[in-house]
Amino acid sequence: MDLLRERTGRGADDRNLILFETALAEIGSNVLIYTGKHGANGQPVEYELRLDAGTATASFTDQGPPLHNQLTRAMPAPTSEAGRGLAIARKVLDELGYKRDGEVNYWRLVKRL
Amino acid sequence: MSLDVQARQTDAGVTVLAPSGRLDVAGAPSLKDAVTEAVKNGPPRVVIDLEGVSFVDSTGLGSVIAALKMVRSSKGDLRLAAPNQQVRVVLELTTLDRVFPYFATVEEALTDF
Repeated sequence: MDLLRERTGRGADDRNLILFETALAEIGSNVLIYTGKHGANGQPVEYELRLDAGTATASFTDQGPPLHNQLTRAMPAPTSEAGRGLAIARKVLDELGYKRDGEVNYWRLVKRL
Repeated sequence: MSLDVQARQTDAGVTVLAPSGRLDVAGAPSLKDAVTEAVKNGPPRVVIDLEGVSFVDSTGLGSVIAALKMVRSSKGDLRLAAPNQQVRVVLELTTLDRVFPYFATVEEALTDF
């Protein structure tokens, strides 16, 4: 994120960068937690971050368990202590892509800055 | 990386908890522990000073909600103070700003508390 700030010349309070970083943290920690929890045969998580013409794109590739229907989960009630991560990411990104191909999860996060 | 949480008591008996670092999946348990300690001695009034929190994710938010429930179930109350821009954005996205009216400074949070 520091590199993105440097390349875009935007400060720490830039709203779009804050939103992108927030989504990235949610998806990234989900990927790491579920990949780690389920062993995933010690396979690495691949992560790529790109900045093209004012659009930031991050992708994750992992061999954790598949995601079932959580992508469309609504924001939980204010008193709920969990279950907001994907809802936040979906709300703040221009595109949140997920696909399962064989044993591999592919994530794509896109935010126009 | 865990979150460091400093606790102090004001002359009026309000506990001020000042976490510093990232309030995320790694840091959330430290905040929960600090709040558990604060509610041990009767109805607590707790201010969480967020000035040192650089970033919050959905797990960190969950720990703040858990803190509110713990404090209220002990017939106390909790206020948030000095959130940075990212924390304010996340509170607003999740509509938790309606559950947690936050104060710009600790001094403001302590007024009439």
